[in-house]
Amino acid sequence: MRQFEEADAVDFVVVGTGAGGAPLIAGLAEAGFSVVGLDAGPFFRPLEDFASDETAQRQVFWTDERIVDGANPIVMGDNNSGKAVGGSTVHFAMVSLRFRPEWFKARTLLGYGADWPIDWQEIWEYYGRAERLLAISGPVTYPWGPPRPAYPYREHQLNGAAEVLARGCEAMGLAWTPTPIATLSAPRGDAHPCVYRGFCRVGCSTNAKQSQLVTSIPRAIRAGAEIRDLAMVGRIEVDEAGRATGVHYLRQGRWRFQRARNVIVAGYAIETPRLLLNSANAQFPEGLANSSGLVGKYLMTQSNQAVFGKMDQEVRSYKAPPSLTVTEHWNYCDEKDFFGGYCWMAQGPLPIEWVNVLTGSKGLWGRALREEMKDYNHQVGLKMVGEMLPDPRNQVTLTDELDQYGLPVPRITYSWGDNDKAMIAHALDQMQMGLEAAGARDVFRQENDTCHLYGTARMGFDPETSVVDADCRSWDIPNLWICDGSIFPTCGGVNPSLTIVALSLRTVDRIKALASRGDL
Amino acid sequence: MNPTAVISRRREHAGDTKSPSTWRRSALRRAPVTKRGAHQWTRAPRNERSDELAAQVGRRLNGASGTLAASVLFDSGIEHYVGAFHNPAMITPLITAAASLAASLHGVADRRPAAHRFRDTVYAAAALAGCAGTAFHLYNITKRPGGLCWQNLFYAAPVGAPMAMLLSGSLGFLAERVRDTDAHEDPKILGLPAGRTLAAATSAGIAGTVGEAALLHFRGAFQNPLMLAPVTIPPVAAALLGRASLDSSDRARPFTRWWLRLTAALGFLGVGLHVFGVHRQMGGWRNWRQNVMSGPPIPAPPSFTGLAIAGLAALTLLESRGE
Ligand SMILES: Cc1cc2nc3c(=O)[nH]c(=O)nc-3n(C[C@H](O)[C@H](O)[C@H](O)COP(=O)(O)OP(=O)(O)OC[C@H]3O[C@@H](n4cnc5c(N)ncnc54)[C@H](O)[C@@H]3O)c2cc1C
Ligand code: SF4
Repeated sequence: MRQFEEADAVDFVVVGTGAGGAPLIAGLAEAGFSVVGLDAGPFFRPLEDFASDETAQRQVFWTDERIVDGANPIVMGDNNSGKAVGGSTVHFAMVSLRFRPEWFKARTLLGYGADWPIDWQEIWEYYGRAERLLAISGPVTYPWGPPRPAYPYREHQLNGAAEVLARGCEAMGLAWTPTPIATLSAPRGDAHPCVYRGFCRVGCSTNAKQSQLVTSIPRAIRAGAEIRDLAMVGRIEVDEAGRATGVHYLRQGRWRFQRARNVIVAGYAIETPRLLLNSANAQFPEGLANSSGLVGKYLMTQSNQAVFGKMDQEVRSYKAPPSLTVTEHWNYCDEKDFFGGYCWMAQGPLPIEWVNVLTGSKGLWGRALREEMKDYNHQVGLKMVGEMLPDPRNQVTLTDELDQYGLPVPRITYSWGDNDKAMIAHALDQMQMGLEAAGARDVFRQENDTCHLYGTARMGFDPETSVVDADCRSWDIPNLWICDGSIFPTCGGVNPSLTIVALSLRTVDRIKALASRGDL
Repeated sequence: MNPTAVISRRREHAGDTKSPSTWRRSALRRAPVTKRGAHQWTRAPRNERSDELAAQVGRRLNGASGTLAASVLFDSGIEHYVGAFHNPAMITPLITAAASLAASLHGVADRRPAAHRFRDTVYAAAALAGCAGTAFHLYNITKRPGGLCWQNLFYAAPVGAPMAMLLSGSLGFLAERVRDTDAHEDPKILGLPAGRTLAAATSAGIAGTVGEAALLHFRGAFQNPLMLAPVTIPPVAAALLGRASLDSSDRARPFTRWWLRLTAALGFLGVGLHVFGVHRQMGGWRNWRQNVMSGPPIPAPPSFTGLAIAGLAALTLLESRGE
């Protein structure tokens, strides 16, 4: 791997190497820029470092201290943030769905949220490129939305849980499809196909999962980028002219400074605003890129409620990737009395995760819990991914408490709105109907789960109502860019990472175009 | 019958450069002694045939049938083991394929031209089992959610697989019909010239097998360019054989022969590539007990070899005819 001097300004320093950061690092390095990627997490070698053990694999989660409050505090950690080279994609569940085109103009076309400053047609192109980058295994034809090319790899064989979703949907007259998913159904390069053991959400030990760690990062290194792991960025430095000059980061017990001509922040929707807010100086007392006051505001998560039940026959839902079928029916059908959409997917919780569901949602303990665990092989579930509406009161702010790096701990405030609650109620009813139609009994609901994070540095049309423009460039500081889950003005009813990767690929092209006309 | 009797076949086409094959080279006129022989001799001297031809082509077809049966035996053995033989009927292809293989070995060793009742029975049973298996597999597909969709075509019981059993049985049955033909007639199958019927059947068989390979290699996203081989080379063989079946001349078809040999070789090459494909699974051959099941099916590609052998036998019949 090439290495750069800290004192020499590189063209780009990228903070975060996940779904947003890694494709940028690779793309910019391939375009000939000098690039350093910094990540607070370790550079894992999954074949050696990963164990098939839920507890050991907590090593991939971001479990630093965070303060959560609001009416519906978000549970942070396993289900929403990672800390590793490759970011949360190292332990994401690989579901790779495209937005419904109308969501990019949600305000104008559907009457809620905000419009994006990008047209769906343009993103459609980049979705295709993202799918090829990640060798998505998906269905030959997709039942919803405008035509899309066949996925690069074929759909996986359904596991027992996925089949239950399909049967339920067929009984309800809803369309379903094998989920487009970022794990290989056939060999690719050095990577073997998926072995269907189902440890995906604690990190894939076989490298079948096409995380950024095994896709963009190796490309970036080949193209001459440097990846520095275990490097926690605490501050972005800005000169008197109002331009970013580099980043302060803690590595091996010492604060260091990497000079850079451009800084790209891709730390996800909590760490990105935290870094921008913590970089406040005399010139930008409210934090960087924050003239609108919107850094940290409009935090969104997605509703991730579930229904679970038992089948008479063995299902072994924990085998294979957890979400092998999906129905996006309610993302594309507008005959409902709330805004936004949701999809639901098959589920396959690992044992500890399942115990948590049983204690948390069913209140089981002791002997009753042990008895219930005996039916683990029969358990099935459906889980929603639902669009929560952007609300400025949901936000990330800084507290006076300091974490292990000596940085202020973020406070994450979250409350569901009435629309969010209406959607959750609708989805729980629908999923219960589906599960019962498929033959499940003893059905119960998990009513409190959330997943994915968005919105704390939203993109928009002008500096008053947004933090970055359509090129992911901050309105206030021309050489400061933000490209990750935090730039979403609305979150849609699908999982985020494919859209983040598509935006990242687009940003590479935009930066190249701007550079070629001397606009950087 | 005199097993060494051979016909002398005159080649009357100007410019026909075909080299005489073995059975033609040892040309010895055969006495017209069988029932309709004399009549045949006078009416159409070029229409003579020999028992040796029948035996030789028949044996080749037995070989073709056996190759397919071996492929089915090992392939369904692995696949149905993966399926834990959860339905007792899943043992059927193992029995019929083993029997068909045995009958074929017997047929290859048997230099007598005549059909054999044991072989006939086994082949007919195998063909029937192939039909039943196809129906079973179709049922298995349609009862799953999604019905006839890519998911089930990829991963439910493969429709194409029992067809290989059907082909093995049919080729064996045809082998016996060729052997069975009266000594002085052109071999006929169901009243039609055997060469043309066989060419047509083999062409269809190759086309079906190409369909199966195409489906499964599509499932594998043609991730290795060599996966295109079975969907490009055998279709040409099928087309050439199809054309030969429509053409009543007895001219030599060196290009078709050459292409069929290539197709036959592809069957073996495919085994090698599938062995490599198993190595591409997690753990490679160290984890063979799992990967032989999850990787590409090693015994499948020789179906092409079996069918190509049958195609070559069909050409031999076609080229021996004097219509
Ligand atoms: C369990 C789980 C399952 C998921 N399943 C899916 C799914 O099926 N489909 C889907 O589309 N999405 C899924 N996601 C969400 C998806 O992984 C994330 O939305 C996506 O990775 C976010 O991309 P990002 O670039 O914004 O942030 P990340 O990918 O999280 O990358 C941020 C990186 O920045 C680093 N970082 C942050 N701050 C700093 C700092 N100050 N200094 C240095 N480094 C820093 C972090 O260590 C991290 O590696 C899942 C997430 C989780 C946790
Ligand atoms: S099931 Fe597949 S993707 Fe998931 S951890 Fe195992 S090999 Fe990786």
